[in-house]
Amino acid sequence: MKDLFLAAGGCHYTYEQLLKDVGSRGKKCSRIFVKGNEPYQIFVSVVHSLWLDYPVELLDGDFSEEELNKMGIQSADLQPSLIDRRSEHPPSYEDVTALLRPKNWTLSLYTSGTTGRPKKVTHRYDALTRQVKTGSRWENQVWGFAYNPTHMAGLQVFFQAFNNKNPMIYAFGEEQKQLPDLIDHYQITHLSATATYYRNIFPRLQSKVYPGVKRVTFGGEGFDERLSEKMKQTFPHAQIRNVYASTEAGSVFAGNGRTFTLSSSIKDLVKINEHQELLIHHSLVGALENAADVGEWLNTGDVVQEIGENQFVFVSRNSDFINVGGYRVNPLEVEAVLTAVPGVEDAVVKGKKNSVTGNLLTAELVKAADAEEDQVKEAVRKHAADTLQPWKVPRMLTFVEEIRKTRTGKKVRE
Amino acid sequence: MQEKLAEIFMDMFQDNGLSAPDRLDPDLHLRDDLNMDSLMLAELTVRVESEFSVDIFEDGLVETIGDVVKKIEGHQQS
Repeated sequence: MKDLFLAAGGCHYTYEQLLKDVGSRGKKCSRIFVKGNEPYQIFVSVVHSLWLDYPVELLDGDFSEEELNKMGIQSADLQPSLIDRRSEHPPSYEDVTALLRPKNWTLSLYTSGTTGRPKKVTHRYDALTRQVKTGSRWENQVWGFAYNPTHMAGLQVFFQAFNNKNPMIYAFGEEQKQLPDLIDHYQITHLSATATYYRNIFPRLQSKVYPGVKRVTFGGEGFDERLSEKMKQTFPHAQIRNVYASTEAGSVFAGNGRTFTLSSSIKDLVKINEHQELLIHHSLVGALENAADVGEWLNTGDVVQEIGENQFVFVSRNSDFINVGGYRVNPLEVEAVLTAVPGVEDAVVKGKKNSVTGNLLTAELVKAADAEEDQVKEAVRKHAADTLQPWKVPRMLTFVEEIRKTRTGKKVRE
Repeated sequence: MQEKLAEIFMDMFQDNGLSAPDRLDPDLHLRDDLNMDSLMLAELTVRVESEFSVDIFEDGLVETIGDVVKKIEGHQQS
């Protein structure tokens, strides 16, 4: 389809439509919060902010009211405001892309903080699009969009596609099941998703071969070598790539398979400390709410192993966080929610390894002496489901007498 | 084994606030018929593994209740 910008939920939006909708907006949302994360609405808001060059915060539509309150955001803060200057005409694509050196525009995301409260990270345009490539090699790509559009990985795909006027075919959430048909129908050439996404869709893909797919990218969680081998048979002409990105630093580097190679432009901005942890220079990191968090180098907490000059592989990801299907969860944040339930005295949240989502959250609870197990369980489930994003909800709850602690008083999560 | 598996499904669906299937028809598709998302599939694999010591999604090729049963039976016979 000519000029296609986005296909989502059976609707087609052209670039012309996008720019018309951007131009006709009389209000601006400096906080973008779309319940259900409807991608077109989100992208219209992002392009609008780029066009008029104002800063935006992008909030996951899955955030509950409690989570928003914890972040200091009230529902009144989510209301759009009238814009001072309104153009007579919608912008042209060239207008918008020529403006893509915005002076005032920044985009903020919230990420799991170390304190249990989501932490705001603010990125400038250049940093956010560091890995975006443009030019004739990239102009005929068709992107399968397989991430939450409010998260860093989704934004990376959006900017790559948008800056090359490529179509994006939304295949996330409910539409994931349609991926095999979407690949055929729209002749998708590029796919980027988490290993969990690919594992989930693989049974539907494996009976066929998709020679038109040129690149399959793994992002958001550890690389799955075995799955990648199987994917090569389904996508025989695809190059398999692996991307390391984070909410704090954006997309930092990409590798073929497990191995990452540091390019000359980035190698001085990355180092490995004596504990084999990966450190990223602050110039690559977005502005954090509490700047004292970083210093000159951000310790990612990810442990790597050098395997040659400027080459390394990941040994383990930051152990303070649990990666559930590509979403990073801070167990302290979840524990704070669980212990707020009457009858719960203490809680520890752990990641249970599995071959579908990498980890699944489970919780051990210590209940008050006079509380009934069934009632506490029910109350915890309800409160967690109402309060937390779905992947942060512990799926299995057990009761224990006490929670094991290390000698330094930390809860044992092994 | 079928009874234990039915119990696992019953517990899971109840815990997730969903109505459990009336009976475990082998043709029921986990994703299409039971609308299980990746978190529920992960939960299923964890619960089945702790009961039957088999990782049903190890090779990713499980689509129906019948496939789950086959994986457990295959493991019990080996």
